[in-house]
Amino acid sequence: MTESSTPLSDTTDATGPGGPVLAYTTLRETARSRSLIDHIAASASLYAMLIPTFLLLALFCLVPFVIAIWRSFQEYEVGGTAKFVGLANYREYLFHDYTFLQSFGNMIFLTLFAVICVMIVPLIVAKLIFSLTSERASYIYRILFLIPIIVPNVAIFLIWRGVIYGDDGLLNLVSRALHLPLPAHGWFSTPSTVLWAIAFIGFPFAGGINILIYYAGLTSIPDSVHEAAELDGAIGLRKFFTIDVPMVMSQIKLLVMLTIIGGVQAFEGVYILTGGGPGFRSLVPGLWMYDNAFKFQRMGYACAIGVILFLLILALTIFNMRYFRSAEQLQGQTR
Amino acid sequence: MLGLWALWPPPEGKSQARLGSAPSTQPANVKYVIKFNPGPLYLPGVVPENSDKPIEGIAKVGKAFEALYPDTKIEFIGVPGDVREWLVTSLSSGEAPDVVQINVEDVWQDIQKHWYLPLDKYYDSPNPFAKPGAPGSVKWWDMFKYPIPTRGTMAPDGHMYCITLDMIETGIFYNKTLFKKLGLHEPKNWSEFIQIQKVIKEHGITPTVIDRQSLADWGVDLTFYQIYEPLRDLMDLNYDPKRGEYMHGYLDWDELIFLHDKGFFTPADPRWQEVWRILKEWRPYLSQDLNPIGTDFMQQFVTQKAAMLWGHSMMVSRLVNDPNLGFEWGLFYLPPITKEYSRFATGVDQCVIGGSAMQYTVTNHAWSDSPNDPDKSERLKRVIAFLQFLTTPENCDKVVNEQIALLPNIKGVEPHKELMKFDEILQRHYAMTKWFFTFDNQWDEVLMRELELFLNDGIDREDFVRVLEKDLERTTKRITERKDLDIDRFQKVWDERAKMRKQFSGLPNDGK
Amino acid sequence: MKQKRSDIFIHLILLTILGLTLLPFVFVINNSFRRTNEQYHSFFGVPESASNLVRFTWFKLTGQPDRIELRIMPERKDGKAQTVRAADVPMTRISYGEAMSNCWHELYKGFVYAWQVFRPFMINSLIVSISSAFGVVLVSSISAYVFARYRFPGHRALFFVIISFMMIPWVLTLVPSFLWVKTLGLINSYWVLILPYIAGGQIIAIFLFKGFFEGLPEELFESARLDGAGHFAQYWNIVVPLSKQIMAVVVIVNILGTWNNFLWPLIANPDQKFSVVSTGLYYLSQTQAAGNGDKSTMFAAYVIASIPLLVLFIYATKPFMTGVTAGAFKA
Repeated sequence: MTESSTPLSDTTDATGPGGPVLAYTTLRETARSRSLIDHIAASASLYAMLIPTFLLLALFCLVPFVIAIWRSFQEYEVGGTAKFVGLANYREYLFHDYTFLQSFGNMIFLTLFAVICVMIVPLIVAKLIFSLTSERASYIYRILFLIPIIVPNVAIFLIWRGVIYGDDGLLNLVSRALHLPLPAHGWFSTPSTVLWAIAFIGFPFAGGINILIYYAGLTSIPDSVHEAAELDGAIGLRKFFTIDVPMVMSQIKLLVMLTIIGGVQAFEGVYILTGGGPGFRSLVPGLWMYDNAFKFQRMGYACAIGVILFLLILALTIFNMRYFRSAEQLQGQTR
Repeated sequence: MLGLWALWPPPEGKSQARLGSAPSTQPANVKYVIKFNPGPLYLPGVVPENSDKPIEGIAKVGKAFEALYPDTKIEFIGVPGDVREWLVTSLSSGEAPDVVQINVEDVWQDIQKHWYLPLDKYYDSPNPFAKPGAPGSVKWWDMFKYPIPTRGTMAPDGHMYCITLDMIETGIFYNKTLFKKLGLHEPKNWSEFIQIQKVIKEHGITPTVIDRQSLADWGVDLTFYQIYEPLRDLMDLNYDPKRGEYMHGYLDWDELIFLHDKGFFTPADPRWQEVWRILKEWRPYLSQDLNPIGTDFMQQFVTQKAAMLWGHSMMVSRLVNDPNLGFEWGLFYLPPITKEYSRFATGVDQCVIGGSAMQYTVTNHAWSDSPNDPDKSERLKRVIAFLQFLTTPENCDKVVNEQIALLPNIKGVEPHKELMKFDEILQRHYAMTKWFFTFDNQWDEVLMRELELFLNDGIDREDFVRVLEKDLERTTKRITERKDLDIDRFQKVWDERAKMRKQFSGLPNDGK
Repeated sequence: MKQKRSDIFIHLILLTILGLTLLPFVFVINNSFRRTNEQYHSFFGVPESASNLVRFTWFKLTGQPDRIELRIMPERKDGKAQTVRAADVPMTRISYGEAMSNCWHELYKGFVYAWQVFRPFMINSLIVSISSAFGVVLVSSISAYVFARYRFPGHRALFFVIISFMMIPWVLTLVPSFLWVKTLGLINSYWVLILPYIAGGQIIAIFLFKGFFEGLPEELFESARLDGAGHFAQYWNIVVPLSKQIMAVVVIVNILGTWNNFLWPLIANPDQKFSVVSTGLYYLSQTQAAGNGDKSTMFAAYVIASIPLLVLFIYATKPFMTGVTAGAFKA
């Protein structure tokens, strides 16, 4: 620790558009005139502290990823020979694969649905818990809503298919009792219901950690803000939308980001429930990648699909960060 | 606290009841630890449903073998054999167990990679554990009771890669009580079969239940056999004497590809269209949902919501062990399709579609002590010896007959009496080909998915056949490349059969 | 008074949502007590053994001991299948005590078998999950501290590089990862699970720690610096003592992620010596798929596999909730 003197100031980007979420006005300023090389040298001990993280990432995440990218330019099957084919895999997937459009449509639907759910339901539940007068009741609710996170995902899918969507499942029992029309070939096999059936697994989407995250956001709103709003005559729903929602924007942003990242590559549910059927009506790109890698023996092609998905997630995340940042700045102005 | 909990002794001292055998705490003299995956059915420690006793048959056989070979220990382990990523990664790295239960069709996908050991020469030599004069004392092959479906595991390259200890067969379970009530009897032909189902449906009961994969697999192959059987001698271009002895007229992938090039199995082939017409006409009598995720077919049958269940021998034990079953059940096989029902059919008996159940394949790990020359491997000798030991009648009986599920494939071992009907079915002629499994897995997926969509009125027959044609085109091209097949060699035989083709009407391209 | 009434309304809504959320789990627990053939006849229902326990006790109390009867299956011959049709076995009258022990056994049977399968795997799961959670906390809190409290050339780029690793689809790297760890000579060990779990788990953890560390008051650090404390000393003396709760959050989030992961342990450790609980769960579900598994065992297995997490939760809920509430979850 030779450089004990320099917590570095924000020379690189504090001035740029969209600085860090928190303002670092309290960090000590140092001379801006020092050159970049000096800065790097001065930060040597900081870089050293990052070594474990980057070493692990390089070893167990980067190397396999680079291998996968390299494979995506080959016609390759595990244990077999590899042949360099350039961009042929990418071209085939983007322009000639008959599942491409359908599966991307399905993925967008499922991801959007999940994003909307994660934005709305847990927030409302959190708000309801937050507005309880009894501290103890609020605590108990928070614990109870956490229970679902200890159950493995696979179990949840299996339970849902049996309990809810099964032939004698709750859904059919209720529908029959109310004389509602049932899908012609079961919930997972009728083309018009299959995507909705998959999307609704986990209804009412309230279980898990999300409620706590929103709850945390709500508790961090200072009482003065609420009081000021009430003086302005904002009550009920209006208060919720003008005060609460903007104030938890950074939580929403995080959850949306995580949901998109998970949603684009998710395929477990589809894999367990329909395998992508009937036809390809519920196929998602992640499952097609999995199928190609392990069932169809086309590792190279699967890698190409994976790289495309990676790029898509990357783009969406950057977009998400920028879009929500502007929303936040807007909130900063109104504050 | 958690640690304490995990260390707590197992209840009631049944410490051997666990999945697989205990990890090796072997004495010092053990030189070879052989890992053997017996498949999920025989894995020691598995508790069969409605039973109080964990499976232990094969573990006993292992113990007996270890007594004969003190330098060897057999470990039984569970593997995710149906998870292809496991299979592929562990085999490519040589980390797989020495013997694995894998579906033979999965083996076929990778035969060119030398992951598996061809067992032909062992089949042709004596089994040292066979009693003198008994089957197997000259050739191991002679011990196997159902040679036809056993040969069915032969790979298209002409080698046998697995040992089959037992057989599975399909059949239609039916509700005898209900049949009696409605005055129905076992159908003798397809028209009767449809008629029966019509009656049942009118009574508000689902006539037959079967899942989409079995339909794409068994359903397609049986219907195909009924329609194409008369053309068998014309279509069988490559007579393989070894296999032909048991499976006359079986079509391998190269033959199918050649015939496809000639217009068979395309929209221009009226017989091909006929196969799909027949399946579609059956559809109204099947369960609403063909996806086993949405419907538990066994439950439908047991609760009498469905009158018939096209199932397999492993389902028998469920019915036997169910104290709440409110009806008598029986079993019949699918009836033949006659000329009245389809102009291409002749009413020939339906063929066998089942076959080897547990298929034990020797992997590259077995000769890991001599990777370049399996013949010099001491390990491999013990692996083979254990397989030979396992196939003696006493040991086969111990393993297979511990449950009512499969039929022993070793001469001199009787199946359970509840399974005798399947024994009859297994004596039939073997299927002409297996559309599901023969090509790559992508074709299987497309066939199953699109068939489901077609049967559920998602697309019409024209579109369906066109989709199939597109993927058949793709898969045949890929197989030809990957397996380096010589398709053109059939041209000569094909030309010689020009006269024969004249006898048949309705051939694609007028039989040119 | 008005406040109270709206509270009741809120309670009603919350209880409805809660009920819907927890409903599936009630079925899992219920079905873990029901024999396979019961489950074939209906998906719902009171476990027969449980209802028998109540019924027989009622018969005993009301003086009708002759109505206590059960279907006792004959002893199976060693190594042979049960060949008597269960439906043909008549009901036998037995004593109250016998009937009770019989029913109790039926009731918890699934748990006994599931536990026998899981027992050897449980320790492995604990070792792997706990050490990787510990590793994640250690590695990621240091990095997060650096990112949260310092500005240095490339800090944004480096942080984004870390985050972007989250976006690599895991299927994509499954096979390359396996072949790579094999080259490293790690397979068939705890390391092959722990190290990649730390590598992957630290990403979200850095995210969480960073959010929390940014909120720590600058004055603390300033005074430490005046005393001549280095970067690491500041981390160790100021950050660590203040971060117990957020660490609880990271530990829990991490253990949740690793406990139920089954594909990687399955592939990376072919030797069962290192198998984990989720792998056992997979083997059990496989015997189900093969058609001979006991259904109650399967459901009991789900329950048992979740118990360690439940215990963890009971102990860690409080710091966990304060940790989350401290507001680390934001972007």
